[in-house]
Amino acid sequence: MVWLSSRWKIAIMAAPALIVFTALIVYPVIYSAGYSLTDFAGFGDPAFVGLKNYIDLGNDPFFWSSLRNTIIILVVSLVILVPGSFGLALLLRRRFPGGGALRALVFAPVIIAPILVGLIWVFILDPKIGLLDRLFGALGLPQPEWIGGNVLTPYSVALVFVWGSVGFAMTIFYAGLQQLPTDILEASSLDGASGWKQLLYITVPLMKESFAIATVLLITNVFKIFELVFVLTNGGPVHRSETLVSYMYFITFNNQQYGSGMALAVIITVLGAVVSLGYLLLLRGRKSA
Amino acid sequence: MSAPTSPLGRRSRRRTGGIVAAIAAYLITFLILLPILWIVLLSFQSSEKILSNPLDLGSLSLLNYVHTVTSLPLAQMYGNTILLAVVSVTIGTAISFMVSFALTRMIFRRRRVQSGLRFYILAGLAVPVYILLFPVYRLDLALGVFGSYAALIIPYVGVSIPFNTLLLTGFLRDLPTEIEEAAIIDGAGLTRLIWSVVLPVMRPVIATVLIFNVVYVFNEFPFASILINNPDMTTVSLAVSQFQGQYSVDYGGMMAAATLVLLPQLVIYAIFQKQVIAGMTMGAVKG
Repeated sequence: MVWLSSRWKIAIMAAPALIVFTALIVYPVIYSAGYSLTDFAGFGDPAFVGLKNYIDLGNDPFFWSSLRNTIIILVVSLVILVPGSFGLALLLRRRFPGGGALRALVFAPVIIAPILVGLIWVFILDPKIGLLDRLFGALGLPQPEWIGGNVLTPYSVALVFVWGSVGFAMTIFYAGLQQLPTDILEASSLDGASGWKQLLYITVPLMKESFAIATVLLITNVFKIFELVFVLTNGGPVHRSETLVSYMYFITFNNQQYGSGMALAVIITVLGAVVSLGYLLLLRGRKSA
Repeated sequence: MSAPTSPLGRRSRRRTGGIVAAIAAYLITFLILLPILWIVLLSFQSSEKILSNPLDLGSLSLLNYVHTVTSLPLAQMYGNTILLAVVSVTIGTAISFMVSFALTRMIFRRRRVQSGLRFYILAGLAVPVYILLFPVYRLDLALGVFGSYAALIIPYVGVSIPFNTLLLTGFLRDLPTEIEEAAIIDGAGLTRLIWSVVLPVMRPVIATVLIFNVVYVFNEFPFASILINNPDMTTVSLAVSQFQGQYSVDYGGMMAAATLVLLPQLVIYAIFQKQVIAGMTMGAVKG
């Protein structure tokens, strides 16, 4: 290998990706962080205003409501998704006719473009034309405003996110279940461990890593939810259903308050980085274990 | 300790348990597919029927599709998206492979530089695309590419590098070097080594990388919504985002258009199902 590792050969191999990565990922992050300290509005020279944009965001009720919505979506979808997709993986692990096809079908929503997922769910959740309120009406139940009202939208976004992610999480759990040492499971069932006991005391602890990976990936994906809100409510009414990302998009590209938009983008990035760091630490723990 | 059961009793209990589980699995899968089936059903109904009685199977017709095929520039949407996907994924995979090869196989004078550079690129995994939208828009303007396909290709290539590098360096690290060393002793140069020794064994991981990136470009919306200002350059995702405005209360037409975008995706998924699932989850499982 030494023969082939002259300086210019290494440079030719490594430079293109390093240059593109630096110009399109690293430089923009620095650029955004810089602009978050200015009052830039698209014209003229940006004036340095220090932390004013961050302080203004702290006083902006819509920032707090979009943070609250993001947290609601996060909690609701994790509470449903983690046990739900684990249970589904347990079901689909059993051998029965068509099991493989079901696994593929459950994964299908994962590959659908988020923007199309949103549109599909308009026709389920919309108070006028949606399937859900029609069903509720036929059953004589109240017909709440799933989207567009003041209360339920973040919960509905969580539901749609669950729909789009359940196949992904299930596949992670399924892969984990395939790697379980079968001898431990057999030994425990010979010892008379009943199904539930085995699940609770042996399978779940052995799957700790899959639970951690699925949870962290779902958290980072929740922080990226944008298209769903964009299509379902466009953040309305009056920003009540906005998430952090959709509100950032609005401030930046609709209001053209680039300074405060970038301040919010920096906040989102820091939140995401904290989670990703947790993920990396977790992987390191796994490798040394 | 549970009460001892006879082997026969245990077996029949297990069998009924298995049947219950199978029924539950089919039911849940049906519920998950229901939204898709619903929009496909609506795509065959007139808008009046969608509002009054969408389940009336007697009134299904292809009329929505006739209108949609003429009103929606399907060929153009797909053409644009495929062009963006082919160019950006080819460049992104090629340069990611090159840097991954350099970072795992070539010998740096300073080892620290090598592992440092890998960490530098992998740190990009923590950057959400949303912080890049505005700077990339300004960068495109400054480079004079705003309004061309390059405006989107450049960020798509950039965004793909960290994940590609994660998968490719991970694969190369686990790959034994003996065959490569033998090829070098036999006098292979760098180009021949890569083309005829390294790349052939990397086929599975490269397929994974390609699929992951193609799915990303097909589904990408935030960049497209900001960097495309010419209707002739509309991508599939961008076109879908305009359906609500375009079709307004023509719900049947909107559903036909949605189905025409959805079905090709599902068909391609059905064909490459195993590889797609591997591609989308590999990064998660491999770490």
